Amino acid sequence: MVQRRTQDPTLRPSTAADPSAVHVAFEYLACATFWLLVGTTAGLIDALKLNWPDFLVVPWLSFGRIRPIHTNTVFWGWSSMALVGLALYVVARTSRAPLWSPTLSRISLVLWNAAVIAGLLTLGAGVTRGPQEYREWVWPVALTFGAGLVLNGVNAYMTVATRSIQEIYVSNWYILGAFCFLTILFTTGYLPFYQHGLGNVVIQGYYMHTAVGMWFGMLSLGIAYYAIPRILGRPIYSYALGVLGFWTNILFYTLIGAHHFIFSPVPWWLQTTAILFSVGMMVPVWAGGCNLLLTFRGASGVLRRSYAAPFLVAGIVAYVLVSTQGTIEAFRTSNIYWHFTNFTVGHSHFAMYGFVAFVIWGAAYGLVPRLTGAEPNPILVGIHFWLALVGYGIYVVSISIAGVLQGFSWVAGEAFIKSVEAAEPMWLWRTAGGVLMVASHLVFIVNLWAMRPRSSLMAPSASPAAEAST
Amino acid sequence: MSFHTSHRALVAFAFFGFLALTVLIAILPAVSVQNTPGIPGATARSELAEQGRAIYLREGCGYCHTQFVRDLPLDRPYGRATVAEDYANEDPPLPGTERTGPDLSNVAARQPSDIWHLLHLYNPRSVVPQSVMPGFPWFFEEKAAAAAGDVTVPVPPRFLSGQGQVIVARPEARALVAYLLSLRQPALQP
Repeated sequence: MVQRRTQDPTLRPSTAADPSAVHVAFEYLACATFWLLVGTTAGLIDALKLNWPDFLVVPWLSFGRIRPIHTNTVFWGWSSMALVGLALYVVARTSRAPLWSPTLSRISLVLWNAAVIAGLLTLGAGVTRGPQEYREWVWPVALTFGAGLVLNGVNAYMTVATRSIQEIYVSNWYILGAFCFLTILFTTGYLPFYQHGLGNVVIQGYYMHTAVGMWFGMLSLGIAYYAIPRILGRPIYSYALGVLGFWTNILFYTLIGAHHFIFSPVPWWLQTTAILFSVGMMVPVWAGGCNLLLTFRGASGVLRRSYAAPFLVAGIVAYVLVSTQGTIEAFRTSNIYWHFTNFTVGHSHFAMYGFVAFVIWGAAYGLVPRLTGAEPNPILVGIHFWLALVGYGIYVVSISIAGVLQGFSWVAGEAFIKSVEAAEPMWLWRTAGGVLMVASHLVFIVNLWAMRPRSSLMAPSASPAAEAST
Repeated sequence: MSFHTSHRALVAFAFFGFLALTVLIAILPAVSVQNTPGIPGATARSELAEQGRAIYLREGCGYCHTQFVRDLPLDRPYGRATVAEDYANEDPPLPGTERTGPDLSNVAARQPSDIWHLLHLYNPRSVVPQSVMPGFPWFFEEKAAAAAGDVTVPVPPRFLSGQGQVIVARPEARALVAYLLSLRQPALQP
């Protein structure tokens, strides 16, 4: 096959890409990116409201309504759709089989978009289950999303079941696992039988924490275990470490949600268990993170010239750092200074943006052009990278400083309003970072459009003759 | 049968392993604490306060205001430490994860004035100049003159758009204030 534009040296056109999987993956990425723009605009409005509280005084744009719109749209709209789009492609590719049913995943995409739209409208109208983070959607909305989740899970499972090779590549462990985990997690979060009074708090800790790690985290790792070796053209540093990371993640991560309610009436043994296993998390984090980063060893040339690799490196480095930060935050002593402060907001953006979004972008830039044969302008990819990196760097650093200042003010016993005044300048910096982040998303839209599948470009890679010539 | 080659074994083990851990770490502990009885002698919320709580949930107040006092020196200003019994009749309870504004577990004891709360809801800057809390002017009505039974709010003129109006609390504002004034920690039996 004639290599088309080769601005990124790591891009070798894929020879066995299943065109329908490519189209499905792209449709997911396109919808996800739309929700990225909506979700981060909502976040930016919220940030501005802390600087100018009398800005946009409208019921459906008030802080308390926009906040769940921001979090739920970037969680279920952007991150979930983008990760699953890429994951479906990875599952098909590593199984050496076509996607079992592209139709099933298209139905899921319709369901997911319907759920995100309905979620946006209901939350804007104040129809909510209350501030129970990431499960604010009323149950019909959640059920619509859940139906799409199960259909996609079945599709991924059946694709692996019909694989043409014996081994199940480690990416599929993480991806199939993630579908199982979120199904259980959603069901547990929404069933009411054990959620009266304090029971609700126990479930909330488990739910909000496990959603991040066992859905977004697992999918991101699964995709990274495919994308990094693929763009480097070399195997993963240690396959066994990937497997170890998978099982230890399940064992440790599932048990640590209660660390969001340290010093609460939640049973003390549950809090202590959560803190202990938060320390245990250092095993899968450092094993997984170093494993992925060591795969780059000796490939610094690629890192300099590839535009996809920097996103993946930044994403994995953020994964290791943010998880280590999370462990430190779980301790009782650090809880005294950091809990309830903006430090937590910095931590969650570090994870969902620095790790998850960067892995999505790295995988999108590293995989999509090789499937569609259409590359984005490398200069624009560079602009995206630096706007996003500098933007979220400013965001996380400033909001974390705000958190520290709040914590110190409270511990010093000052009047509460002093902690608001202390944080205010940092909130302005946070907004500035947020503007850069949103700007980077506009550049990503241009780049994604440049990578779109075109029928004329798709034809050669799908024909057997083209495969034979590579 | 190996996880490396059997997708059935792999998925079944991951699914049921995670399910078992979920039962152990979330569902069983939740079951064991969900029926904690309330504090004896605590007064039940009025119907108006209950409506106010629904508005509190709707407007997302709980994203910035906790109802969760820890047994720590820095939490002393907010009242006694929260116990399981405090959440007994709360569906959902509102411990919260962020304290951009102060904890409200015991706010009625700290700030018992309904007029203060009405002013604060109309525009927080009218009583706390440095506040960043959103105002809720749509819970109030601008009228030329108050009618019988109206609750008027003495909003300082610079927070008003026009001249010569009175600001009257709508039912939403009255319900929300009733809820805030119901937030008073009952004493624990020794």
